[in-house]
Amino acid sequence: MGADVNVVAASESGCHIFGHGCGFEAPGVGLFSPTPWLDFGLPGAAGVNKYYLVAAVALIIAAAFWYFTTRRAKVVPGRGQSMAEMLVGFLRDQVTRTTMGKEGDRFLPLIVTLFLFIFCMNIMGLIPGLQLPVTTSLAFPAVLALFVFLLWNIVGIRRHGFGGHIKARLVPGGVPAWILPIVVPIEALSNFVIRPATHMIRLFATMFAGHLLLALFAAAGFYMFNPLSQMGALYGALSVGYSAIALVGFLVFTAFELFIMAVQAYVFVLLTSIYLGEAIEGAH
Amino acid sequence: MPTVYLAAEQENVLRIHWDEFTFGLIAFLLILGVVYKMWPKLTKALDERADQIEGGIARAQKAEAEAEETRQQYREKLEEAHREYAQELEKAKEQRAAIIAEAREEAQVEARRIVEAAHAQIEADRQQTLVQLRSEIGALSTELASRIVGETLSDGAAQNRVIDRFLDELEQSGNTQQAEVR
Repeated sequence: MGADVNVVAASESGCHIFGHGCGFEAPGVGLFSPTPWLDFGLPGAAGVNKYYLVAAVALIIAAAFWYFTTRRAKVVPGRGQSMAEMLVGFLRDQVTRTTMGKEGDRFLPLIVTLFLFIFCMNIMGLIPGLQLPVTTSLAFPAVLALFVFLLWNIVGIRRHGFGGHIKARLVPGGVPAWILPIVVPIEALSNFVIRPATHMIRLFATMFAGHLLLALFAAAGFYMFNPLSQMGALYGALSVGYSAIALVGFLVFTAFELFIMAVQAYVFVLLTSIYLGEAIEGAH
Repeated sequence: MPTVYLAAEQENVLRIHWDEFTFGLIAFLLILGVVYKMWPKLTKALDERADQIEGGIARAQKAEAEAEETRQQYREKLEEAHREYAQELEKAKEQRAAIIAEAREEAQVEARRIVEAAHAQIEADRQQTLVQLRSEIGALSTELASRIVGETLSDGAAQNRVIDRFLDELEQSGNTQQAEVR
């Protein structure tokens, strides 16, 4: 069972249940600040750390999946092509068509890219040896959310003009004029600040929390495994039982995490699609 | 103390490192590039498949129409054959009736002819017999009479008169006998 490298490092102190009396150190947010391998000391930079490695692996997996499944696209599809087609068909029918209609087909490659990339970044948390979801570093969701935010503005402005786009976003239809001084600032804050922020933080936070939970189970399992307890064989056996419970919890939550990883990728692209559909639609 | 050490290590998790951001952007654009580059291949394959399916449906509809047409033709031919058969049957019946009638007529004519021929034959035989009888009876009677009367009646003319009278009487009595028999 591949315990997270950082978790193992955190528990290297040798603390175990029924041991010398040192307490359990739960894995903290330090997990998400891996020590950089190359630190150039630039201000505001993390340095070349583990996130670079997992992001590069995610990039390769996502790009290779798409490249090899569609490289020889034929009328009669093979397995790979069928998978790619299923992915595209799912995203088209469940995401773009439902939110943007036929017009959304234009954005389908973007939606496919986002889904693939986010899902691959997420599953990095389950790959033994790597076990760090790329999306637990806010910079990566931020790139995607910012890209979507910019695209959302560009699509709206190209469709309705700058004024039309801004007005559609700030002045909700059917609101009496006297209430506008209150509504407009709220809408501005909501649409131009809170929305892109929540778009990235939602993905980041769920992956962050999920990974922390897995790390906790792994660390707890390690902490509680003390068959050679100084307090006697009975306590040693008890510690193994506790450890087994933690292991079962780890496995269950790993499966659950896999589900969450797919769902979060889906939610991200669904929201992207909804925002773009709104920009296309204009005032409502 | 470990707790102090951990607290020092903890930094704001909501930080965004610009270098990670840049790396993420590059990775994202690379994947986007790959997806966009490969996109036409997939859509082309999908379009071709749609075309082929549509073509297949069109072909199937055409074949169905042709089959329907053939079936119609076949049905018409069958009906025509039935009609012709019925006509032939009717004609054959008529012919049969005609043949039978003709044969019957011929047979009747033939029968009548045979009957008539038989009648004629019988009449001829009778006449012949009568003539023969008459001459024989004449001769017999003459002989008889000559025997009875002698040589006196050797004159031919008188002889004939006597015989004729005798025969007439004979015939009359024969007729009445015949009538009685009938």
